[in-house]
Amino acid sequence: GRLSRRLLPLLLRRGSTPSISPARALSTAAVTADAPAAAAAAAAEEEAMTIKGVRISGRPLYMDMQATTPVDPRVLDAMLPFYLSRYGNPHSRTHLYGWESDAAVEEARARVASLVGADPREIFFTSGATECNNIAVKGVMRFYRDRRRHVVTTQTEHKCVLDSCRYLQQEGFEVTYLPVRPDGLVDVAQLADAIRPDTGLVSVMAVNNEIGVVQPLEEIGRICKEKGVPFHTDAAQALGKIPIDVNQMGIGLMSLSAHKIYGPKGVGALYLRRRPRIRVEPQMSGGGQERGIRSGTVPTPLVVGFGAACEIAAKEMDYDHRRASVLQQRLLDGIRGQVDDIVINGSMEHRYPGNLNLSFAYVEGESLLMGLKEVAVSSGSACTSASLEPSYVLRALGVEEDMAHTSIRFGIGRFTTEEEVDRAIELTVHQVKKLRDMSPLYEMAKAGIDLKSIQWAQH
Amino acid sequence: MAAAPTRAEALSLFRSLLRTARQFSDYNIREYTRRRAADAFRENRALGDAAAAAAVFADGKKQLEVAKRQAVVYSLYAPKAKSIMEMKLQ
Repeated sequence: GRLSRRLLPLLLRRGSTPSISPARALSTAAVTADAPAAAAAAAAEEEAMTIKGVRISGRPLYMDMQATTPVDPRVLDAMLPFYLSRYGNPHSRTHLYGWESDAAVEEARARVASLVGADPREIFFTSGATECNNIAVKGVMRFYRDRRRHVVTTQTEHKCVLDSCRYLQQEGFEVTYLPVRPDGLVDVAQLADAIRPDTGLVSVMAVNNEIGVVQPLEEIGRICKEKGVPFHTDAAQALGKIPIDVNQMGIGLMSLSAHKIYGPKGVGALYLRRRPRIRVEPQMSGGGQERGIRSGTVPTPLVVGFGAACEIAAKEMDYDHRRASVLQQRLLDGIRGQVDDIVINGSMEHRYPGNLNLSFAYVEGESLLMGLKEVAVSSGSACTSASLEPSYVLRALGVEEDMAHTSIRFGIGRFTTEEEVDRAIELTVHQVKKLRDMSPLYEMAKAGIDLKSIQWAQH
Repeated sequence: MAAAPTRAEALSLFRSLLRTARQFSDYNIREYTRRRAADAFRENRALGDAAAAAAVFADGKKQLEVAKRQAVVYSLYAPKAKSIMEMKLQ
């Protein structure tokens, strides 16, 4: 329009500079000349981009909601003032800048607390769920190290819980890694049996990041209460998606993250019960912020964003949940209707509907994911997707290695549309069929040969 | 206590929300804003309680202000490449 007419002579004069400028001048020229076809071609040229050697015509549709979620515009709207004029350090006690930041932080704390039925004084802001898990697992055990030497957790926990447990083992603590049933749920009776008199912590995640199964928190909480052991749950994937009540579920410690609920990356919160009081040894030394649990300046804009995300989640939980259920069903029906030999990983009954983890038999996992470059999905957790190892979570469920290799985790979120789901179905079905057409294994299986009976030549 | 909005007032707010939704450069946010506004109005259409209707209306007006600001912010930082959902299938 007006702008391009003004820019055009400028661009043409500078047209001798290589690369972008001539193309730009051409495309604006086309627009001003009002030739729609040429403009469309030029626009398409501009839209094509190459990242990591993959040519992409547009931004892929995003279905990796377990890795992270987009920031809700309402969250960003709440945060922006604290990046502009309200930049005070919330711990400054001597001027307005500090006071207004402090007030905003406390308001956010109350919002986070309210979403999980906690007291604001039980919420401690951290950098994210990984830090919370570290404080919870290492902090509790170190604080009570004289009497408590044992931790109970599950094999399907997030890496940071498992790694913290490994660290404790090196320090001489003992850890029981409970197996899970084929549907991904922990056996509650087995958990109760695993608790010993010197057990200092039971750590079971609320919603699994890879398969979306919801563990029986209330039952685990009750057992822990009976046995007098603090119950820690990593609720990063559960917050704002399923109802959480720390009292009803008997939760003693809980890890929360903002960027899984349309909030900013880099902030989370640890819930730490006051009655009966659970104490932790801080993992960060410093100025004693957050009542000494987590030293370091509280990042006001991020915390405000987290608070806003929690407030929206409280309001929108039913609406979002209903929608995720509908879209999950649409996705499953759409794929299952056109492709056979699919396995859903994890319980369908006890599952957060924003997660659908499928394994496709007889296809090669890497080829499938690479072929789906217009759908942003992953095979499992972002933390381990760089390696070619199959997911340890799926292996814990007893999923065979070949099936664990071909898993795709579809994440459905607040901003996912029906059209995106339909496009994801179309692209996935196309890719699976294409790969199976090339697969001798699929051909043999269709011919009725049991693949397990084949003696593969040694080499 | 604010009075319940008239039908015309409610419709005007709804239309403003839809208009603002269209201004979002981001495909997903644009679709969500439109869908959420439509669903909220459908849900609250038969709200009998005057106080509840006034509260919902006030909230809607606040949401409109947020959407107006954010549509501008999004347009300032819109990526060059569009979502594949906005492009025709090859």
